[in-house]
Amino acid sequence: MDASTLTLHVRKTGAGVGRLDVMQMLSGVLLILFLWAHLLLVSSVIISPKLMNAIAWFFETTYMAQVGGPIIGLLIFTHFLLAARKMPWRAQESNAFIKHSVMMHHKDTWLWLAQVVTALLILVMASIHMWVVLTDLPITAVKSAARVQSGTWLPFYLVLLPLAEIHVGIGFYRIGVKYGYITKANRKWYQRLENYMMGGFITIGLITLIRFLFLTV
Amino acid sequence: MQIIYSDLLCIGAGLAGERVAVEAAKAGFNVTCLSIVPPRRSHSSAAQGGMQAALGNAIMGEGDSPDIHFADTVKGSDWGCDQEVARIFADTAPIVMREVAHWGVPWNRVEAGVHTYYKGGKPFEAEEKREKHGLIHARAFGGTAKWRTCYTADGTGRSVLNTLDSMCLRYEVGIHDRTQAEALIHDGENCLGAIVRCLKTGELKAYLATATLIATGGYGRIYRATTNAVICDGGGQIAALDTGLVPMGNMEAIQFHPTGTVPTDILVTEGCRGDGGTLLDVNEYRFMPDYEPEKAELASRDVVSRRMQEHIRKGLGVKSPYGDHLWLDIRHLGEKHITTKLREVYDICTNFLGVNPIHDLIPVRPTQHYSMGGIRTNKDGAAYGLKGLFSAGESACWDMHGFNRLGGNSLAETVVAGRYVGKKIVEFLQGHTVDFKQSAINDAHTKVAARIMEMTKRSSKQESAIQLRDEMHSTMMDNVGIFRNGKDLQAAVDKLDELIDRAKNIKLQGTAIGFNPEISLALRIPGMLKLAQCTAYGALMRTESRGAHTREDFPERNDKEWLNRTLAYWKDGETRPELKYEEASPYFEIPPGERGYGGGKIITADIPEEKLRVPNKGADKKKAKQTKKAS
Amino acid sequence: MSRRLHIEVFRYNPLDPNSQPHMQSFYVNEYDSMTLFIALNIIRDEQDPTLQFDFCCRAGICGSCGMVINGRPGLACHTQTRDLPDHIVLHPLPVFKLIGDLSVDTGTWFRDAGSRIEAWVHNDHEKFDAKAEEARMENDLANDIFELDRCIECGCCVSACGTARMRDDFLGATSIARIARFYLDPRDERNEENYYQVIGNDQGVFGCMGLLGCEDVCPKHIPLQDQLGIMRRMLAIHSVKGILPKRILEKLQHKGCCHESH
Ligand SMILES: Cc1cc2nc3c(=O)[nH]c(=O)nc-3n(C[C@H](O)[C@H](O)[C@H](O)COP(=O)(O)OP(=O)(O)OC[C@H]3O[C@@H](n4cnc5c(N)ncnc54)[C@H](O)[C@@H]3O)c2cc1C
Ligand code: HEM
Ligand code: HEM
Ligand code: SF4
Ligand code: F3S
Ligand code: FES
Repeated sequence: MDASTLTLHVRKTGAGVGRLDVMQMLSGVLLILFLWAHLLLVSSVIISPKLMNAIAWFFETTYMAQVGGPIIGLLIFTHFLLAARKMPWRAQESNAFIKHSVMMHHKDTWLWLAQVVTALLILVMASIHMWVVLTDLPITAVKSAARVQSGTWLPFYLVLLPLAEIHVGIGFYRIGVKYGYITKANRKWYQRLENYMMGGFITIGLITLIRFLFLTV
Repeated sequence: MQIIYSDLLCIGAGLAGERVAVEAAKAGFNVTCLSIVPPRRSHSSAAQGGMQAALGNAIMGEGDSPDIHFADTVKGSDWGCDQEVARIFADTAPIVMREVAHWGVPWNRVEAGVHTYYKGGKPFEAEEKREKHGLIHARAFGGTAKWRTCYTADGTGRSVLNTLDSMCLRYEVGIHDRTQAEALIHDGENCLGAIVRCLKTGELKAYLATATLIATGGYGRIYRATTNAVICDGGGQIAALDTGLVPMGNMEAIQFHPTGTVPTDILVTEGCRGDGGTLLDVNEYRFMPDYEPEKAELASRDVVSRRMQEHIRKGLGVKSPYGDHLWLDIRHLGEKHITTKLREVYDICTNFLGVNPIHDLIPVRPTQHYSMGGIRTNKDGAAYGLKGLFSAGESACWDMHGFNRLGGNSLAETVVAGRYVGKKIVEFLQGHTVDFKQSAINDAHTKVAARIMEMTKRSSKQESAIQLRDEMHSTMMDNVGIFRNGKDLQAAVDKLDELIDRAKNIKLQGTAIGFNPEISLALRIPGMLKLAQCTAYGALMRTESRGAHTREDFPERNDKEWLNRTLAYWKDGETRPELKYEEASPYFEIPPGERGYGGGKIITADIPEEKLRVPNKGADKKKAKQTKKAS
Repeated sequence: MSRRLHIEVFRYNPLDPNSQPHMQSFYVNEYDSMTLFIALNIIRDEQDPTLQFDFCCRAGICGSCGMVINGRPGLACHTQTRDLPDHIVLHPLPVFKLIGDLSVDTGTWFRDAGSRIEAWVHNDHEKFDAKAEEARMENDLANDIFELDRCIECGCCVSACGTARMRDDFLGATSIARIARFYLDPRDERNEENYYQVIGNDQGVFGCMGLLGCEDVCPKHIPLQDQLGIMRRMLAIHSVKGILPKRILEKLQHKGCCHESH
C-alpha cells in the first residue's frame, strides 16, 4: 500500500497501462496463432475428410476442444475488453477519425479503421459461429459440410473469412510496428508479407469452403 | 490594457535572449521572454556551421588558446572592434561551450585515429590524439588560424537553441510567443518595459520590468536578398532608436555571405568551404587562389564576397534569369560526407533548388547575412542612453565584431554575451528598484495605439506599406551593397528621405478584426526605413574602407581618421539620423596592422603609448611581483 | 508552359463573430522554382493583405509553416509547386488551436508537451565546473542524440496522427522521440521508472496505435517509427519486470536498439 490508495492527490506508481498493453499484444499474438492453426486444421478436409475427422477426434478425446473452445472464447473476450479501450466509441471520436482518414489518404491510417470495423463484425459473427460449433460437438467433416451446404452458412463464412483474415493480418503487422520489430528499414517487406499472408489464408479458406460444398454428405 | 510585471523582460527568445533569461531565472528572478515566433523557431535555429571557442582538442586546433582566438577576432574586425570586449569573449567562450555541453548539447566529439579531412578541395590525413578522444571536436571556418569551430553536424544553432529552451522550461521562464514589442516604455532616464502587440489577438499589452533586454537578432530584411528569416526586421533596434535616447552603433557594417543560393537566398553553410568546397566561375575554373593565394576560399567573408563580386563584374559569372551567380563545388567530398556532415545543405539543394550537390554544382552569390551594428551597449551589455536597458546577440553592438565578424563568432557571441551580460543584469537587479510611472506607460501605449488608428483613416495621401517596402529593397540592393561609392550612397540617402516622409501616410487596404498581418507590416516599415537610413547615411559619411564596408572611392583603411565607431541617434520627425563618433576601442592590446588577407592600403594612426597597454594586466603582474618581493 | 495555379485556401477568423469558415480561391502564375512560400506571399502582397499564414526561415529549418497541403500535413516553404497539381488546397493543421486562416498555435502545444514530459536533461545543473574538462562522449552517440534533436516542432506528425485527432491529450510521436533523445543521453540521470512515470500511459507510448502517419509526413525524416518501437518495448518490458525472468527480458530489451554498444 502506498499513499495513492489514500488519496487521489498522489499518483499511482504502477505498471498498469504497460501491462495492459503487453496483455493486449499477447492476446493478439495468441489469437493469431489460434486462427492460423484453426484454418489449417479445418482445411485438412481438402486433403481428405478422414484426416479432418481424425484431427477433430484427437482434439475431442483429449478434451482440448471442450476446454480449448471456452478458453478461446475467453481469450477473445479478454482481447475485446483490452482492445475496446482504443476503439472510438464516442461519435465525436469516430467522426474525427473518419474525417482524418479521408483527409490523409494514407494506407496505414485506413487499415486501422478497417481493423475496428472488422472487429465489431467479428464480435457478433465469431460468437454465433463458436456457439453453433461448440454446442454441436463432435466436429466431423460431414456435419460441417452439411452446414455449409445448408445455404445460410455459406454466405456467413464467405463474409467471416475475409473479415477475420483482414483483422488478423493487420493485427500481425501492427504488433510488429508497435513493438519495434517492423522498422523503417524492413517495413515495405513486411507490408508485402502481410498482403501475401492475407491472400494465402483467404485462398485456403475458400478452397476449404468449396470442398465442403461439394463433399457428399 | 493588460499589464504584466517581471523582474527581467527579454525581448527576443533566440540564443541570446534565452541564455540571459536562464541566467536570471537561475538567480531566482522572475523572467518573461517575448518572441514573434515560438522560441525554437528563432533565427538562431537556422545557423548551421558552428561556434568558435579555443578548446584546442582537434589535432588541427592543437595549441589554440583564447589569445589566438582574440587575435583572429580583432584582425577579422579590421581593428574596428572593442578589444576589451573581444578579450572577454575569447576568454569566456570555452567555458560556455562546456557549460552548454553539461546542459545537453550533443557536440560532435573527437575520435582518436587517422581521419581524412579536406583543405582547399584537397584531402589530407591527420591523426586525432588518443588523450583527446571524446572531447568536443572542431572544424575549420574562414579567417581563423586554427580549427576552432565547435559544431553538431550542421545543426549547431538548432541543438544549442533546443538545449537553452529546455533550460528555460526547467527554470520556469515565462515564454510569451507570438508577441511583438512595438515601443519601449521609459521616463527619459529608466527603461521600464515595453508596449507589446499580441500576434494572436492584435491586442496591445504593457510588459513592465525592472530590467529590459533587447535580443531581437538582425535586421537583414531591409535588403531584398538576405539569408535572414522573414521576422528579422529589426523590431528591437527600432524600439530603441525611437526613444531618441539610445544610439545605434556601426550600422553601416553589414556582412554579405559568399554563399547564398540562387534564387531563394537560403544560406549554405561556410562549413562547405571549411570542409573543402571550392568556388568556380562560368568556365568551372577555381578562381579564388588567383586573388588570395594563401587562404583562397577560406579568407574572411568580406574578402571572399568582394572577390566573387569582382569576378562576376569581369563577366565571368554564370548568367541566369535571376541574375549572375557563381558555382559552389562540393562534389568531391563524396556522398557520405554530404549526406551526413552537410546534410542540411543536401536537403536545401534538393528541396529548394532542385540540385543534387553530390553530382551538380550549387548556384551561389554573395547575399546580405549579418549586421555587425545594432544597439550600442557598453561591455556589460547596458545600452547607452537608458538605465535598465540591455542588449545582447546580433541586435546589439557590444562590439566584438567591429566591421566584419568571423564565421562562427556570432553564434558563440549569443551564448557568451548571454552568460556574461546575464550575470551583469543579475547584479543590476539585485541592487535596483524602479518606479513604474503611470504616465510613462500611458505615453508609450497612446503612441502605438494612435499609429494604428491613423492607419485605418482614409485620406487623400495613401501609401501602401508593401510598395514602400519594395522601394526600400531596391534602394538598398542597388546602392548600399558590397561595393559602395559616394554617388550611389547619396542617391540612397535621398531616396530614403523621401520614403520616410511618405511612410507617414501608410494606410491599410483591408480590415480585419483581431490580429491582422497587414498591420504588422505597416507598423514595421517606418522603423525599417530608419534603420536603412542609418545604414546608408553612416556608409555615406564613412569615407574609408574597413572590413565589410568597402568604398570604391576611398579604398584605403584610414586609421588616422576613422578608427572609431559610428553612433546614430534619431530625433523624432527627422528623416536622417544624427551621427556621432566614439573611439573604436578603449585600448589596443593588438595595435592596428595588416590583416594578412584582403590587401588594401592602410593610412596609419599615431596611437598614444598608454592606449597600447591593457590597463590592469600590467598592474596585476606588477602587483604580483611586489607581493613576491614583500614576502 | 507556365501554369496558372488555382490555390484554394481555408479562411476563418475566430475572433470575428461575422466570420464563417469557408474556402477561398486565388489564382497565381507559376514561375520556375516556385514554392508555396512564394505563392502565398504573392497572394498576400497582391490580392489579400489580411491572409494569415506563418513563415519564418523559409528554408525548412524552423518549422513555422506546417499546413495541410492537398490532404497531407507538410511544410509549405519546402513544397515546390511543380510537384503539385495545378489545383492546390490548403488547410490549417488540425489538432492545434486555430489562430486564423492557415495559422495555428503550435507554440503553446509544444511547450505544454515539453513540460509534461519534463523535456530537459535531468542532472545537477549547478554542478557545472567551469575549470574542468567536459565529460567525454562517443561521437557516434552524440550523432544519435542529434538525430533526434533535429525535430523542428512543426507539428506535422501530430496533425497526421489519428490518435492525436481523437484524443487531445495524446503527446504525439514528436514528444516520444524527444523523450527517446533524453533516454539516449548519458547526461540525463533519469532511470526507466522515471520515464515510465512520464510516458508509460495512454497519453504517451501506449496510446500510439502504430498508424505511422507521423513517420510518413515528417519533413525532417526523424526516425519516429523506430523510436516509438524502441520506447514502447523498453517501457512495456519495464512494466512486466518481476513477472518474466530477467534473462528473457534482457534479450528482448536490446534487440534492435540503436545504442546497444553504449
Ligand atoms: C542562415 C544563417 C546561418 C548562420 N550560421 C551561423 C554560424 O554557423 N555560425 C555563427 O556564428 N553564426 C551564424 N549565423 C549568425 C547567427 O545565427 C545569428 O547572429 C544569431 O543566431 C543571432 O541570435 P540572436 O539570439 O541574437 O537572435 P535570433 O536568434 O534572431 O532571435 C531573435 C528573437 O527575437 C524575437 N523578436 C524579434 N523581433 C521582436 C519583436 N519586435 N518583439 C518580440 N520579439 C522579437 C524573435 O522572435 C526571436 O525570438 C547565421 C545566420 C544565418 C541567417
Ligand atoms: C471479438 C471481437 C474483436 C474485437 C472487438 C477486436 C478489436 C480489436 C481492436 C480494436 C484492435 C486494435 C487495437 C489497437 O489498435 O490498439 C484489435 C487488434 C487485434 N486483434 Fe482484435 N478484435 C476482435 C477479435 C479478434 C480476433 C478473433 C482475433 C484473432 C483471431 C483478433 C486479433 C487481433 C490482433 C492480432 C490485433 C493486434 C493487437 C495489437 O495491436 O496489440 N481480434 N482488435
Ligand atoms: C474454439 C472455437 C472454434 C471452433 C471449435 C471452430 C470450429 C470450426 C469448424 C468446425 C469449422 C468448419 C465449418 C463448420 O463446421 O461450420 C469452422 C469454420 C470457420 N471458422 Fe471456426 N471455430 C472456432 C472459432 C472461430 C473463430 C474465433 C473464428 C473467427 C474469428 C472462426 C472463423 C471460422 C471461419 C472463417 C470458418 C470458415 C472456414 C473456412 O473458410 O475455411 N472460427 N470453424
Ligand atoms: S517529428 Fe517531424 S513532423 Fe514531428 S514535429 Fe518534429 S519535425 Fe515535425
Ligand atoms: S501516427 Fe500516431 S498512432 Fe503512433 S505511429 Fe504515429 S503516433
Ligand atoms: S518557414 Fe521555416 S520551416 Fe517553413
